[in-house]
Amino acid sequence: MAYSDKVIDHYNNPRNVGQMDKSSQEVGTGLVGAPECGDVMRLQIKVNPETQVIEEAKFKTFGCGSAIASSSLTTEWVKGKTVSEALEIKNTDIVKELSLPPVKIHCSVLAEDAIRAAIGDWKKKNGVAETAEAAQTVAAQ
Amino acid sequence: MSAACWSCGSALAAGAPFCVACGKVQAPTADVTYFDVFGLPRKLALDTSTLERAFYKLSRKLHPDVYARASEREQQWSLEQTSLLNDAYRTLKNAIPRTEYLLKLEGVEIEQDRASENGAKKESRMPPDLLEEVFELNMQLEEMRMNQKMGEDDPQLRGDLEKAKTQFEGQLAESDSDLQKLWVKWDAAVDADDEASQADAKNKMVALLDRRRYVRNLVRDVNEALGA
Repeated sequence: MAYSDKVIDHYNNPRNVGQMDKSSQEVGTGLVGAPECGDVMRLQIKVNPETQVIEEAKFKTFGCGSAIASSSLTTEWVKGKTVSEALEIKNTDIVKELSLPPVKIHCSVLAEDAIRAAIGDWKKKNGVAETAEAAQTVAAQ
Repeated sequence: MSAACWSCGSALAAGAPFCVACGKVQAPTADVTYFDVFGLPRKLALDTSTLERAFYKLSRKLHPDVYARASEREQQWSLEQTSLLNDAYRTLKNAIPRTEYLLKLEGVEIEQDRASENGAKKESRMPPDLLEEVFELNMQLEEMRMNQKMGEDDPQLRGDLEKAKTQFEGQLAESDSDLQKLWVKWDAAVDADDEASQADAKNKMVALLDRRRYVRNLVRDVNEALGA
């Protein structure tokens, strides 16, 4: 099975590898793993408290090329998005962008889980309601 | 559910390779399980030496050579039954494949088919503490590999990894004995027809196997990095 050019590109030149201060109020950290293949993925976001825009995103992934490419791509996508926009990223979007074959779809699921976990962590830290609807209700009041 | 022998019309046990009444080989049924092949109930704590004896006995009876002068379809069936028998034996004789197979029969999706193509969500089943451990260990492994590339060896790091390896190997051994306890629980629940208890044992086995897979991969990676 061959990797697509996009996967190879992200694998050879991963974007936004690194880490941010886990204890910072503005940073949300998502650590997820796939027992099937032993992959483990840490994705972090730094959110502007005023605008809720994700200003910085970092990842570190141990796993196959597709897992690295999925997380690399995800960090690129979430940067500049608001938290609620970032939650709309679906693993199927990643599959499409990277042309992942069926056996590698779980890598994209992992990346989606990671961004959700990171946002969840940030929300918990900042006392933001879990669901988007609830957040809108709060904002409207 | 119950099929009849093509030759004598006697009722057949589900998936039985032979008719007990006339001894004729049967066509493998589509829904035959590896347990059916051996006439076993769907239980886990089985005695592998008994299984081995049953395997050899069935192998001899089903061997295509025995059917050299039988009808064409019986020859074909003996071939199919033999290959089914081989798969069944290979799967059931080992603890982990047997458990995974039973869980699959019970509707649990294992390995990579868990995340389906339409993006159906699977819950993340890894306990957070293990994830942290796995992540940290991977960081150390990466450092170890970098050092090796540079032709350096960091005794402190090597020592840490040796320690981690021993610890994870201990966890593997522990999970194996935990699994055997769950087999007993499962088998008892099957005998008692206790669905709740069966479901409980099933979920615990799934969690245990998930964790075990992770740990096994870690041990493999550590061994590689240590050059063992």
